[in-house]
Amino acid sequence: MSTSNFKIQLKGNSAAGALGLSAAIMLIPANLLPVLETDTAGNDRTDTIYSGTVQLWHHGLGAIAAIVFAASIVIPILKLIGLAYLLFNTRNGPAKNPVRLTKVYAALNVIGRWSMLDVFLAAFLTGLVRFGALATVQARSGIVAFASAVILTILATEAFDPKILWQRQPEPALP
Amino acid sequence: MNKTPAPKVAHDRSIPLVWIVPIIAALICAWLGYREFHDLGPEISINFADASGVEAGKTTLEYKGVAVGTVRSVELRKGLVGIAIKLRLKKEATELANGGSKFWIVHPEIGLSGVHGLETLVSGVRLNVSPGNGPTTKEFEGLDKTPAPDVTDEGRTFILQSDKLGSLTTGSPVFYRELKVGAVEASRLSSDSTLVQVRIHIDAPYADLVRTSTHFWNAGGFNFKINLFGAQLKETSLESLVTGGVAFATPDSVPLAAAAGPDTVFTLASEADKDWLKWSPKIPIKSVDSIVQKSNSPSILPSLIK
Repeated sequence: MSTSNFKIQLKGNSAAGALGLSAAIMLIPANLLPVLETDTAGNDRTDTIYSGTVQLWHHGLGAIAAIVFAASIVIPILKLIGLAYLLFNTRNGPAKNPVRLTKVYAALNVIGRWSMLDVFLAAFLTGLVRFGALATVQARSGIVAFASAVILTILATEAFDPKILWQRQPEPALP
Repeated sequence: MNKTPAPKVAHDRSIPLVWIVPIIAALICAWLGYREFHDLGPEISINFADASGVEAGKTTLEYKGVAVGTVRSVELRKGLVGIAIKLRLKKEATELANGGSKFWIVHPEIGLSGVHGLETLVSGVRLNVSPGNGPTTKEFEGLDKTPAPDVTDEGRTFILQSDKLGSLTTGSPVFYRELKVGAVEASRLSSDSTLVQVRIHIDAPYADLVRTSTHFWNAGGFNFKINLFGAQLKETSLESLVTGGVAFATPDSVPLAAAAGPDTVFTLASEADKDWLKWSPKIPIKSVDSIVQKSNSPSILPSLIK
């Protein structure tokens, strides 16, 4: 295995790092800014992802609250942590513990698709709930940040080349 | 003999192009944050002794009938001394955070001189504000009731003294020749508690009608007299029948007595002498056009009968 081949993969992982960092940056407004504005009978409220989850919980929808909380807050963060873990352990070349890292990589692929749930929820509500003065739901800028964070995370995991996990360690030079 | 061309060696850029993505992300992030927060005015806190009906996220602050802020939270203050309402003003309403601004809660009110805040029966209470012009502050003491009307009107105030209040309340009308020219602002006991003092406000164009020789009387309620020649019902107006009212007349002496200064004290008679009703001095008043300008005074107490 030549060093130049190794460099190409490093470059790919650099892209994964850049995209992952971008996703982490976008997660900040995604969680701080309101994602939904609901106006029901003059009762106007804006919700961030977190306050929306709390609201669901208070309305006795514990299961849905748990799903939304997991899909929108826990999974994106876990995914980025996992990716950072992979990148950190392969920063100087092939990994020393390939089996565990591969499991992490597989887990990233499994949980990834769930995090778009919130975006779908907002899109559906905005489209469906339009009763003029009685009730309207509007998407706010937070959902855009959230969607881009999710997309960037997906791109980052795609950009990561798992081959590096299994690359043979360069033989130590003979004395 | 064919010679293999020398391979082109690509040199890695020191920083790969893909790192522009986090920079763009950071810029978008900053823009989103800016867009979210640049519309927001200051957050202020108002202390009330009682905040019944005020709800976080629902109750709005209105100025001249337009919502200029929303209540963010309603909290009990330490030591149970009252309620602190935190509200976020809109950016264009930043000046309402000036010191001296008065805040009060509008409840539906039927009686006094009309029906006020009836819409709050359906929509819940709302907060109202009368702006001050002091330095910007964050914490305000809310009023426990609607302040006296026409706070921005120039006009003139006078003090009336009487042995009893009758049916006068804040907002009761003051009449001159049965025309409403002012209103009762406040009432209280005198310091030795032997008299009731009533502060009235006469609107700007009519302020000169009050001379030093003017007589005031209580025009509230109605007089019902029955004698040999029949029954006689005397009342000033439907409004004063319900809410009480004050009327005044000025004797037509030549030359006319001097115009009364602000806060001059008069005695409030319980009813008018027959002579008083006949007086009709010629008193020049300010242009009646200024009545029209009066309509821009805050709609605190829109009375039924203008």
